[in-house]
Amino acid sequence: MYLAAVFLPLIGAIIAGVLAFAKHGAEDRGPGLDRAAQWVTSGAMLLAAVAAIFALMDIVSGGNTQAVEIFTWIDSGSLEFSWELRSDTLSIVMVTMVTVVSSMIHVYSIGYMGHDPGIPRFMGYLSLFTFFMLMLVSANNLVQLFFGWEGVGLASYLLIGFWYDRPAANAAAIKAFVVNRVGDFGFALGIFATFMLFDSVSFDTIFGLAGEKAGATMQVFGGEFHALTVICLLLFVGAMGKSAQLGLHTWLPDAMEGPTPVSALIHAATMVTAGVFMVARLSPLFEQSEIALNVVVIVGASTAIFAATIGCVQNDIKRVIAYSTMSQLGYMFFALGVSAYSAGMFHLITHAFFKALLFLGAGSVIHAMSDEQDMRKMGGLYKLIPVTYVLMWIGSLALAGIWPFAGFFSKDIVLEAAFAANTGVGQYAFWLGIVAAFLTAFYSWRLLIMTFHGTSRADEVTLAHVHESPKVMLIPLAVLALGAIFAGFALFTFFVGEAAPEFWGNSLFVLESHKALEDAHHVPLWVKFAPLVVGLAGILLAYVMYMFAPDLPKALASGFARTYRFVLNKWYFDELYDILFVRPAFVLGRGFWKSGDGDLIDGVGPDGIAAAVRDIARRAGAVQSGYLYHYAFAMLLGIAGLVTWFLVVGG
Amino acid sequence: MTQLAFPDLTLALPEIFLAAAAMVLLMLGVFSRESAAARTVSYASILVLLFTIVMVGLVTDGRAVTFGGTFIVDTFAVYMKALVLLSAAAAILMSREYLETNKIFRFEFPVLVVLAALGMLMMISANDLIALYLGIELQSLSLYVIASFQRDSSRSAEAGLKYFVLGALASGLLLYGMSLVYGFSGSTGFDALAKLFHGDAEHGVPLGVTIGIVFIIAGLAFKVSAVPFHMWTPDVYEGAPTPVTALFAVAPKIAAMALFIRIMVGPFGDLSDQWQQVIIFISVASMLLGAFAAINQTNIKRLMAYSSIGNMGYALIGLAAAGHSGDAEISASGVEGMLVYLAIYMFMNIGTFACILLMRRQGRHVEDISALAGLGKSNPALALALGIFMFSMAGIPPLAGFLGKLYVFQAAIRAELFTLAIIGVLASVVAAFYYLRIVKIMYFDAPEEEFDGPVSFEMKSILVVSSIFILFFILLPVPLLDSAAAATASLFN
Amino acid sequence: MNDLLLQYLPILIFLGIAIGLAAVILIASLVIVNQHPDAEKLDAYECGFPAFEDARIKFDVRFYLVAILFIIFDLEVAFLFPWAVSLGTIGLFGFWSMVLFLGILTIGFIYEWKKGALEWE
Repeated sequence: MYLAAVFLPLIGAIIAGVLAFAKHGAEDRGPGLDRAAQWVTSGAMLLAAVAAIFALMDIVSGGNTQAVEIFTWIDSGSLEFSWELRSDTLSIVMVTMVTVVSSMIHVYSIGYMGHDPGIPRFMGYLSLFTFFMLMLVSANNLVQLFFGWEGVGLASYLLIGFWYDRPAANAAAIKAFVVNRVGDFGFALGIFATFMLFDSVSFDTIFGLAGEKAGATMQVFGGEFHALTVICLLLFVGAMGKSAQLGLHTWLPDAMEGPTPVSALIHAATMVTAGVFMVARLSPLFEQSEIALNVVVIVGASTAIFAATIGCVQNDIKRVIAYSTMSQLGYMFFALGVSAYSAGMFHLITHAFFKALLFLGAGSVIHAMSDEQDMRKMGGLYKLIPVTYVLMWIGSLALAGIWPFAGFFSKDIVLEAAFAANTGVGQYAFWLGIVAAFLTAFYSWRLLIMTFHGTSRADEVTLAHVHESPKVMLIPLAVLALGAIFAGFALFTFFVGEAAPEFWGNSLFVLESHKALEDAHHVPLWVKFAPLVVGLAGILLAYVMYMFAPDLPKALASGFARTYRFVLNKWYFDELYDILFVRPAFVLGRGFWKSGDGDLIDGVGPDGIAAAVRDIARRAGAVQSGYLYHYAFAMLLGIAGLVTWFLVVGG
Repeated sequence: MTQLAFPDLTLALPEIFLAAAAMVLLMLGVFSRESAAARTVSYASILVLLFTIVMVGLVTDGRAVTFGGTFIVDTFAVYMKALVLLSAAAAILMSREYLETNKIFRFEFPVLVVLAALGMLMMISANDLIALYLGIELQSLSLYVIASFQRDSSRSAEAGLKYFVLGALASGLLLYGMSLVYGFSGSTGFDALAKLFHGDAEHGVPLGVTIGIVFIIAGLAFKVSAVPFHMWTPDVYEGAPTPVTALFAVAPKIAAMALFIRIMVGPFGDLSDQWQQVIIFISVASMLLGAFAAINQTNIKRLMAYSSIGNMGYALIGLAAAGHSGDAEISASGVEGMLVYLAIYMFMNIGTFACILLMRRQGRHVEDISALAGLGKSNPALALALGIFMFSMAGIPPLAGFLGKLYVFQAAIRAELFTLAIIGVLASVVAAFYYLRIVKIMYFDAPEEEFDGPVSFEMKSILVVSSIFILFFILLPVPLLDSAAAATASLFN
Repeated sequence: MNDLLLQYLPILIFLGIAIGLAAVILIASLVIVNQHPDAEKLDAYECGFPAFEDARIKFDVRFYLVAILFIIFDLEVAFLFPWAVSLGTIGLFGFWSMVLFLGILTIGFIYEWKKGALEWE
């Protein structure tokens, strides 16, 4: 079952890839090939999802938790590990979530990408991405995790740049790739350090030894540091890159240049949560380092509020959701940071459903509006696309954390855990989280109102074409909506409630002294209600500002012009990075290219050697004079030389 | 004085048969009608050579000596003789068309090749300095003649003359070295010399012997055209008729290498400290010259001359590794690598020369590399074959040439001759340039006029056999490796 | 010492006889025969060629051919002498070796004959 869940997407990807090649140069058979690619990949994904659900049931009912070994990968000295599928609750939950969401998005893409000339390629990339993601979450050692990690990075690059004839898409793809490289560098260093400390990269070994090595130190840049803190921080840098946390987040909004299903799959539901998953997976390591946990909390909480503020002023419908995603990832991280790993995972799962729903809903809107993404050119759509409207409402309610939607349960437990942690950073996270929750509700309804209510600001032509999306797009949306409604309610007991210890088994590790999650169930009543209250307040404010007093936002923007511009420009992160890194890199690169590579390496290296070879060749040819006596003389010289050498050296 | 006893002639049966056959062929040729003589003798001599291979294989599988210990037959000799006879047969098979177009298709040519092959067999089986010299001279005299076989071409005559004069000089060096060795040791037999020098490495050998060895090496280096005794090679290769060049590139090289191996690891095996340095130097110089000097060549035969100089350099790496003192196993791996290398070299060269022999335009043979332009379009099959040979010579995996190089480099590494191995690899990188240039010319340059067709059955079969060997050797290397190992084992017994 | 020298006495005697005989013949021809000298007769004898002229002239290759063929059979005779002397000690093997050698030589002879190398025209 498990194997099928992981490898069916790969098979689908390969077949779609072959079809993509087959389509090249055989345009007349295009439609048939397109349909074949859609059916094969979607079918494979659906089967994988079914297989994953069975695997989940198996594990929940206390079934086989033996890792599935596929074959030995590297066996070199003490570095030895296999391709293995880890079989515990954490992995299987992720596998299930990924396959289910991915299969919905595959089906949705049939409709959404229906008129694109590159259908087989797109479907192939989607399936390939899913395979890598599954590799990532089912890894049983750090290197396999890294393989999946890099694989999803690659697939993400390919998908963001799917419309390779758009310069913006290419730039965004490169940006995503490069920014992720920074994170991956930290991740790779973390793996090296782990191997140095534990002499193994396999999870079982590392986790077994983590407690033993809690006091170990290692040399870094001449200083003596707590080894596990160094490792965890390095690994967390990787997580920050992939999960777009403050500092390494700049690629995520730009990644919205990709097709909307891609945004939903990669940049909302799955890939960006890889960082969260990784920290949860490595909980035995993180638990041993207070500093690392605190860093995780601070970064997470800061990201949550930072992204939420930006989300309030964006006008691109997808970017609003993108910043929202960043913000929610921040929640997950600070939940992890206060050792409430299961709460973080809970929020990850519910978020996957409602964020995918929101993205796909936004996609449906964009589809209806003939590829218009600017909310300022929308409005009054609820009568034209009622189904999408309802679905967007469900998604927004879940996101804002309104009872009884999924987000309510998960966001509540996250915030309660932060409060219950009873530490400085815990309080920091709690209060920022509350504010962010308020802002979340605000921008969600800002989005809803600007898109669906009021008078339409679109032009006539666009408006005339507005239509509800086909069933093939709406059905996946409905499935995800079911998740967004019921997932929180249904999964609460298993993930963070009474059944949690049994459910998670030993796949998550929490020190005895870290009791945030346990205490979260016993926080004061006002803490329990605060998120809901601020959420409702945010919704109210949005109604006031955008429905009843539409002039207010403009007045505010001009009143606090400086602040507004600061937030609108995303706190000037891109500009800062441009000055700090991009331009110096260009200058340096140009220098290396012109003088370093061109003059030095080429001049001395290939070109120089080639010239020298040519010269030697000419001389060697010239020795061949054709005169017999020259030849004889050369022979005699040779023998004389050899004999002399012998007498001097050998004798 | 006792009367001389009859030696055991059965061991030398293949040689005796070949000698008798050569004379019968000569008579056959001279008594046949002039128009049919050449063709009849050609095919008959191929049959003779092939039959001799069978005889060689049947004679023995151990190690035995005869003629008072001057003539040795062992598995090593069988292996080498098979290669020599095969390449001689191939050379005759390839020669007909060329000789006919140039109106020099005479029955003396195959007879001379057979006689040269006889000389080579004697070289391989020589177990005595005098026997060695006899073999070399019989071989060389025949080769001098066929080098200038196209006697109304001044280039061919020049080639023969140069080869003769320089060959005589080399023979002189060889004889001088032999006389020094004999003078200081009192023996010419290999077995006796080996016994004499055994254990001499510690307290040193007479200087005369050392110098004698150097002279002998020089004489043999001339035969394998190793630097700095290579100067004749490009001129002779270019001037001699192409089938003769094909023969030169393969058969005498293999025979001389066999002799080289036998004499170095046999009688002088315990003096490897003395000669290893020389072999390393010769090997390095040959590889480098072979790599660099070929780059500017425009004549493909001249290019092949430098290529064979370089290839001999690679083969000598194996001999240098065999000079590893102390561990017989490492020495054996060097010789084994060399044997495999030579076999692969033979196939590559025969194939390449078959391609060169097919370069005809309007009934005339062309030798310019630029004439190959666009062959990939005008004659894809021929271009593919030549491409395979060139890639193989450049050492591109998975072709046989790569494995040949791999084995000798491996031996060098095992013998801790790292510098030698590295230079070898670098030289083969440089050499890859001119091999690949031919491929580039064939496939990427604007096509010239097509070559004359049709390709005869002989040529086709040679091309097919050698390209199949080169392509698929990697799939079934075991038979060759096993025979090379057996040959080596018999040498170190 | 004397014994050794005594062994060479026959050579000395032969030398004396040879010189004496040559002198007698030369002097006799000088004394007895009528002398009618002319330029041709006084010229040095050079196998039918003028004695003094440019060395780089075209020269009939057949002369070389004859000379080479002569050398082959000359060498054969050179081999035959020591063989004949030591036949008693080398026995049957030695005898048949020479027969074989002569046989090979004969093959060569037949070849040159059939090829027409022995005919001047």
